[in-house]
Amino acid sequence: MRNALVIKDLHASIGDLEILKGVDLEIPFGEVHALMGPNGSGKSTLSHVLMGKDDYTSSGSVLLDGEEIMGLGVDERARKGLFEAFQYPVEVPGVSLDDLVEEIGGAVGNGDFASRVAASTAQLGMGRFLKRPINEGLSGGEKKRSEMFQLALVQPKVAVLDEIDSGLDVDAVREVAGLVESSRSENLGVLVITHYSRILNYMKPDRIHVMIGGRIVRSGGREVADELEDTGYEALRAELGLVPVRDPLLDLP
Amino acid sequence: MTPLTSSTLLRVPGESDESLETRQHALAKLADFAMPTGREEVWRYVDLDFDLEDFEVAVAAESIDERPPVPDSAGFALVVDGSVVAAESSDPNLTVGRATDRFESLIDPGQDIFTAAQAAHGAERVDVVVADGKAIESPIFIDVSASSEGASFPAVRIRVGKGSEATVALRLRSADDLPALVVPHVEGSLGDNSNLTVVVDQGWGRATRSIGQIVFSVGRDASLKTAEAGLGGALARWQLDIKLAGQGSNAKVVGAYFGDEEQILDYRYVMHHAAPNTHSEMFLKGAVEDEAGSVFTGMIRIDEIAQKTDAFQTNRNLILSDGASAQSVPNLEILANDVKCGHGSTVGQLDPEQRYYLMSRGLDRPSADRLQVRGFFEEALSRFPVPAIVEPLRGRFNEKFLRAQEEGRL
Ligand SMILES: Nc1ncnc2c1ncn2[C@@H]1O[C@H](COP(=O)(O)OP(=O)(O)OP(=O)(O)O)[C@@H](O)[C@H]1O
Ligand SMILES: [Mg+2]
Repeated sequence: MRNALVIKDLHASIGDLEILKGVDLEIPFGEVHALMGPNGSGKSTLSHVLMGKDDYTSSGSVLLDGEEIMGLGVDERARKGLFEAFQYPVEVPGVSLDDLVEEIGGAVGNGDFASRVAASTAQLGMGRFLKRPINEGLSGGEKKRSEMFQLALVQPKVAVLDEIDSGLDVDAVREVAGLVESSRSENLGVLVITHYSRILNYMKPDRIHVMIGGRIVRSGGREVADELEDTGYEALRAELGLVPVRDPLLDLP
Repeated sequence: MTPLTSSTLLRVPGESDESLETRQHALAKLADFAMPTGREEVWRYVDLDFDLEDFEVAVAAESIDERPPVPDSAGFALVVDGSVVAAESSDPNLTVGRATDRFESLIDPGQDIFTAAQAAHGAERVDVVVADGKAIESPIFIDVSASSEGASFPAVRIRVGKGSEATVALRLRSADDLPALVVPHVEGSLGDNSNLTVVVDQGWGRATRSIGQIVFSVGRDASLKTAEAGLGGALARWQLDIKLAGQGSNAKVVGAYFGDEEQILDYRYVMHHAAPNTHSEMFLKGAVEDEAGSVFTGMIRIDEIAQKTDAFQTNRNLILSDGASAQSVPNLEILANDVKCGHGSTVGQLDPEQRYYLMSRGLDRPSADRLQVRGFFEEALSRFPVPAIVEPLRGRFNEKFLRAQEEGRL
């Protein structure tokens, strides 16, 4: 099976703080993988480093459909077929989603872009958001919906969905999971990043990876998520002999 | 051409003895004024790189062959080098005419060398009068241009009757290579319960300097809306003074300005609450690139009598190049105790998070930045009244940014 994404020994740091400490991951085309991990373990950092955000110093290799993308600019990676759905979608005041859609069409609008816009607008009920400024004043769930909408427009080779389920009510989680499942194709590999196994109840991830402290410490099938659900990340840390990191919130007076 | 300090002023067609005499007095006083040095509070932030004395009075070209297209309008005036060459109204409740008589201006001629020079050389003006109780549906267009080197002194006076309504669109323009100096004066008085909207398209050529004043007096329960788009000029300054003179009156001021290369844009806006229960809002957004500089000095003045005033001023600036500068100077002078008043003023740069987000969707950096800047101005332009004027303005802001990118400055 051809790999959509191959990550080898990926390291990333900000200043003196090393966040990713050697990540290895392979996602074949046609598969959906999940990445789980506690707060601060480096999941969003991984998606930003894949996308090429310049806040980080990074090393290692990332192959997108066999092609090295480390060293490329953010927009080049996007045009080569990488899509990141943001955990915190950025507000762009004064620019309507419509304007962005038009620009996306110019940048990566392959095939019949216009009819894809029409179909996705209808399917996701995006009509009422098109004239509004990007992400401004949108509810958490609406922002995630807008990210899924843009994903549908660009038809990437690899989609990294960073907490696409956070802030969603139960119906919306089911809907998003359904969208991810229905987007499965021979031309796409998906990485779904999540804290909770909730969204995984509505989809069939081919593999589940767990990241702790900037490394993938466990990979497996459905049972990995079930185990986490039962025992939590602390038990996994203990089992692996990792130093437990106390939740700083617990230390508050 | 006539030197600015010549002891004899030429009589303009139709001018009365009395009016000419008034101008001659003003001319005699002009000698008492010197160019601002920058030490005066009102000139503090702007460096005037010329001397009024170096200019002669501009004389309008004999024939005006280019008459700009006038969209559906209630009235129209054309001012060239300070002379009113056309003025007409198609609405019986509206007068748009050329006037040369002496009048009591809201603009004090004794402020500085420029107001003094306007008092002496500003021989004619466009007079716009709206009868009481009438709503003029279509906009009134006033086109002010400079066509010859030298100094010109165009003036517009608007009077809106009690309970009336009108919209005036003012366009300022000159050829890009015309090193003219223009001292435009615009003044308006709003009768009780009236509504006036004034939109200014400042499109001076790149070599033209403009030192302008805009003054309004707003009557009881009347509403004023003003909007200015500042795109042109080597140096363009507006001093705007709004006096909320009648109880319950209100004013909304919006602005968008964009300075490129070595342009200097200077705004000095004063909102004077002189009566109780008055409301005002100023909202201006400006960007500068290359070595351009902008200044916004906003003053909210609330008299002791003006209780229950509600006033807010916002000025947001975007610096696009290291060599560009933007200053934002908010001032509050509050003498009443039961008021709501505030300001928000920022000077910042393009947001890297927005850029990253947009680029992650495949937009290259120039496109991402262009979109972000478009959004920045849109927040001001979307508040502009008169949609027919706003659409082309959007295009001009975009083009100006695009040009800076294409010429490698951004
Ligand atoms: N720009 C930054 N500056 C400093 N520290 C950072 C920065 N970005 C990330 N970090 C740190 O790196 C660690 C990993 O952050 P990251 O956002 O990748 O975690 P995460 O796994 O996505 O967490 P969450 O589940 O809460 O979204 C955290 O400790 C975070 O504070
Ligand atoms: Mg995260």
